[in-house]
Amino acid sequence: MSARRTIRVVVNGSKRQTTVESRTLLSDALREGFGLTGTHVGCEQGVCGACTVWLNEDPTRSCLVFAVQADGQCVTTVEGLCAPDERSVLEREFSRAHALQCGFCTPGILMSVQALLRANPRPDEQAVRELLSGHLCRCTGYTNIVQAVMATASYLAMPQQGVHDD
Amino acid sequence: MTDTCGTQAIGQPIERREDRRFLKGLGRYTDDIVVSGALHAHFVRSPYAHARLLRIDTSRARALAGVHGVFTAADIRSLATPLRMAPPIEGLLPVTTEPLAGDKVRFAGDPYAVIVADDRYLAEDAAELIDTEFEPLEPVAGFGQAMQSEAALVHEELGTNLVSTQHFSTPDLNEAFARAARVVATRFSQQRQTHAPIETRGCIAQWDEGRQHLTFTCGNQTPHPLRTALAARLRLSESQVTVISPDIGGAFGQKIALMREELCVAALARKLRRPIRWREDRLENLTAACHAREESALTRAAVDGQGRILALELAIDADFGAYCFYPANYMARVVAMILTGPYRVTNYGYTVRVALTNKCPSGPMRAPMAITSWIMEGTIDSIARELSVDPLEVRLINTLRSEDLPFMMATGELLCDVTPLQTLQAAVRGVGYGDFRRRQVAGQREGRLLGLGLCSVIEPTTYGSAFYRAAGIRGSGHDNAWVRIEPSGAVNASVGLMSAGMGYETAFAQTVADGLGVSVEAVCIALGHSAIAPYGMGARGSRGAVAGGGTLFLAARKLQDKVLAIAAHRLGVAQGSLRLQLGRIEKHDVAGWKPAGLSLNDITEIAYMNPLALPLGVEPGLEIQLAWDPPPMVYSNATHACEVEVNVDSGELRILRYLVAEDAGTLINPLIVKGQLQGAVAMGLGGALMEDIAYDESAQPRAGSLADYLLPTATDLPDIEIIHLSTPNALTPGGIKGMAEGGVMGAIGAVCNAVGDALAHLGVRVDAQPLTPERLLDWIQQAKHTSAAATPISSAATATSPHRDQPSGYADS
Repeated sequence: MSARRTIRVVVNGSKRQTTVESRTLLSDALREGFGLTGTHVGCEQGVCGACTVWLNEDPTRSCLVFAVQADGQCVTTVEGLCAPDERSVLEREFSRAHALQCGFCTPGILMSVQALLRANPRPDEQAVRELLSGHLCRCTGYTNIVQAVMATASYLAMPQQGVHDD
Repeated sequence: MTDTCGTQAIGQPIERREDRRFLKGLGRYTDDIVVSGALHAHFVRSPYAHARLLRIDTSRARALAGVHGVFTAADIRSLATPLRMAPPIEGLLPVTTEPLAGDKVRFAGDPYAVIVADDRYLAEDAAELIDTEFEPLEPVAGFGQAMQSEAALVHEELGTNLVSTQHFSTPDLNEAFARAARVVATRFSQQRQTHAPIETRGCIAQWDEGRQHLTFTCGNQTPHPLRTALAARLRLSESQVTVISPDIGGAFGQKIALMREELCVAALARKLRRPIRWREDRLENLTAACHAREESALTRAAVDGQGRILALELAIDADFGAYCFYPANYMARVVAMILTGPYRVTNYGYTVRVALTNKCPSGPMRAPMAITSWIMEGTIDSIARELSVDPLEVRLINTLRSEDLPFMMATGELLCDVTPLQTLQAAVRGVGYGDFRRRQVAGQREGRLLGLGLCSVIEPTTYGSAFYRAAGIRGSGHDNAWVRIEPSGAVNASVGLMSAGMGYETAFAQTVADGLGVSVEAVCIALGHSAIAPYGMGARGSRGAVAGGGTLFLAARKLQDKVLAIAAHRLGVAQGSLRLQLGRIEKHDVAGWKPAGLSLNDITEIAYMNPLALPLGVEPGLEIQLAWDPPPMVYSNATHACEVEVNVDSGELRILRYLVAEDAGTLINPLIVKGQLQGAVAMGLGGALMEDIAYDESAQPRAGSLADYLLPTATDLPDIEIIHLSTPNALTPGGIKGMAEGGVMGAIGAVCNAVGDALAHLGVRVDAQPLTPERLLDWIQQAKHTSAAATPISSAATATSPHRDQPSGYADS
C-alpha cells in the first residue's frame, strides 16, 4: 500500500482534482478518479496504444505514467477532442471509411492522429502507417484507418475548412 | 425466398450508427460501468505447468487491510458445480473441470485461488502474500509427448491424454488409392495462437439479496447460453439470472463459453452479498484466457496423371490444452468435414485426434476451421509440384463447376449456390496470373524470389440444426427475434445475438427496415440483454447476417403482414394489393404503386387505441416474435490471391499484392462486409506470419505481453483489393449468405502458397507457420545446403520456431 495524495490536473480544459496513491496509473486516475472512461486500457505494458492521451501537447501512453506525474499538468483525453453535440472532420472520415469496428482501440488512435495532423498537416501514407504502427487494432486490418486519416488531411488542407463537419 | 426482399436499405453502404459513441469515447464496455461499492477480484495462478497442490496458506493475504476474502477450490466447490463436458459424441471422452484447480494445477496460469479486495491494486498485493507448496509433475508439452505410452496424464481419471478420436471413410477409398498414378503426401503444422481482443475479459456480478437475483454484466457473444450455464452452475433458476452484455472491445470467439473466472466472481458476489468486478490483465489474457489453432495435419492425395484427385485422406492432430470448455473434437472435426470444399472429391477419409496437454485450454477463434483452406490448397500445390504442372491447372481440373451443383461432399455436406470456379477465374484475371509467371521467371534471373499463392475458400457461415445433428453436436442453429412497432411508429427489434464490433445495430436495422417497409432511421436494435432479447444462440461463426439479419427480416415481414391486414380491412381492399413503403401504405393498380392514403401511424392508432376497428381475429398491438432455423449449412465462397517477395539474404517477406474475389450472396451493408473481410484477412495473415503462443519444453508460456505475442500492425499489412460476386442463396431471406471468417481461412492458405511458390525451385516445402524471417532463412539455407550436398531435397519439417528468452510472467509471482 502506498501513500495517498491529491493531484490537480487541467483535464480537457477544466481544473480538476482527485486523490490517488503514488502508484496509481494515470490511466486509472482518468477512468476512475475523473470518470473519463473513453481512455481504454488494453495491455498496461505500453504496447497497444489504446490508452493514449495528451500530456500537455504530447501523445502519451497513460498506462506508463503515474497519476502523480500529471500533477499540475494539462491532460487531454478523447472526450476533449470534440464537443458531444458536434462532429469533427476526423470523426466524420472515420465513420465514412468504416475505420473502426469494436471501437476499443479507437480513442487512442484518434489522440495520436490528431497530434500528427497538428504537427504535419499533409502526411503521406507511409507516415500515417508508421504512426499507426504504435497502435494495435484487432478488427480492421488498418486499411480503412489509413484512408480515414488521409481523407481528413486532404479535407483540412482545402482552403477555409473548419475542423468540424458541416 | 429471394423474391421477398425489398431494395430500400439492404445493400446500402450505410455508415454505422454505433460509430458516434465509440468515436467520442462514450462507448460502454464492461470496465466503464460504475457500480458503487463494488469489490475487485484477482485470480492467483499456477507458475507450474503441471504440479500437485500440496498446501495453500492464505492467512497473511486475508489479514491485509482491505481484503474481504481469499477463496480456494474447497470454498468455491460449495458455491458452484464443476463443468462436465460430456456431449454424446462417439470417440470423445468426458472431461470434468472444477471452478478452481484443487488437487493439482494443469497449466501455467491455471487459477487456484481468488482474492476479493477493495481495489485491484490491493488484491494484487494480497496475491504476493499467499504461500503455496507445489509438487511439480512431469509436464506434457505437446501432442507428441501426450501420445507417448509413458506420458504423464493431464487428467488421470481418463487413463489417457487422447481425449477424442474420430474416423471416417467412404467405401471405395482404398480402391481409389490402388488405381492412382501418384500418391502425394503433404504436411502442415500450425502454431498455437490466441484471440487477443484489445479489451481483455472482465465481468461485474451483482447479487440482489432481496429479490434473490443475480445481474451479471459481461461482454459476451452469446448472452442467453451464458445465462443458462451460469444459472445451472450456481444452482439457480434461469429466472434468477440476468445477463447484460454491454459494448464488447473485440471477442473473436474468446467471449462465448462461461469461463471459470466469471463463474467464481458470480458465486462470490452471491456469497459475500457485495458487487464484485473482475478485469483480466494482458498477461492473463495471453496465457490463461483461451488459445486456439495448434494443429498439424497430413494429407495423402491419390491423383491421376493430370492431377485429378481420385481420393483424399486427412489425418489431423490437435493439441487442445488442459481442459475442455468446448467439446475437444469441435474444431478439428469441422476441418475434416469440410476439407474438400471447392473440389470434386468423392473418395475421402479422415482421422481426427485431439490430445490434452499442460497448456492453456483451446476454443474456437475466428474461423475455428481456419487451417482447412491451407491444408486443401497446400495439397493442390503439392500435387502440382509433384506432377510439374502449374497449380492453376490442378485447380481448374478439380474445381466444382456450376453443372456439378448442388454437390454432396463425401461427408454428406451439401453445397449449393456457390461459385468456386467463378471466384477462381476472377482472382486469376484480377491478379494477372499469366503476366505474373513471366515476371517471376524474370525475377529469378535477377535473384529475386517472387511467389503467387492462390487459395479458394468454401466458408461455412451459418450452421443450421441439421448440421449439428449430422456432426453429433448437441445444439441448435436457430435464432429468435421480436419486432415491435410502438404507438409512435418507432420500431424496436431484438434478436439473440450480441455484436462485438460487427455493426449489428446498423446492419440488422437495414434488414428490419426492408422486411417491414420503414426507413432504417425508424428502427432501433436492442441486443445483449437476456431479459430484453429473445432466447437465441448468439454471435458465433459467421451466422450474424443469416441467422441474425435473416430471422429479423422474417419477423419484420410477418409484422408487415399484420399491418397490411389492418390496412386492407380499413380500406376495404384485398391485402395482396397493398404494401408498406417507408412508413406509408401503398396500393397497386394498373398504373403501379400509389399512396393509399394511410400511414403507419394510422395503423398504430387502430392497433393500440382502437382495437375494436381491427379485423376479426387480429390481436391488438403491433408486435411479432419469430424463430427461424436456417438451412443445414449456408456457404459463401472466395478465392484469395497473394503475391509476395522473399528476401533471399534476410528471409524477410513482403506482400506485394493481395486480392480477394468473394461471393457472399446478397450483402446487407457492403461497407461492413468490406471491413469484415479486411479484418479477417488481417487476422489470417497475422497468424500465418507472426502470431505465436510459444511454450518451451517444460510447457512454460513464452509470450506474456503484446511485445512477445506479435499482432500485425499498420506497417505489416497490405491493402486488400476486393472483387464482389453476388450469387444469392436460394434458401435464405433475401439470398443473404454471410461472411466474416473466410478471410482468415483464405489468407493463411494464400500467403503460405505464395511463399511456397517463391521457394519451390529451391526445393522448399512450406509445411509450418509462422513464416517468420528466421524460419524462411532457415529453409532457404537448408535448401542451399542440401542441394550443395547433391542429395534429394526433403521436406524442411525440422525447422523450429525462433527462440525467445522472456521467462513466463508467472515464474516469479
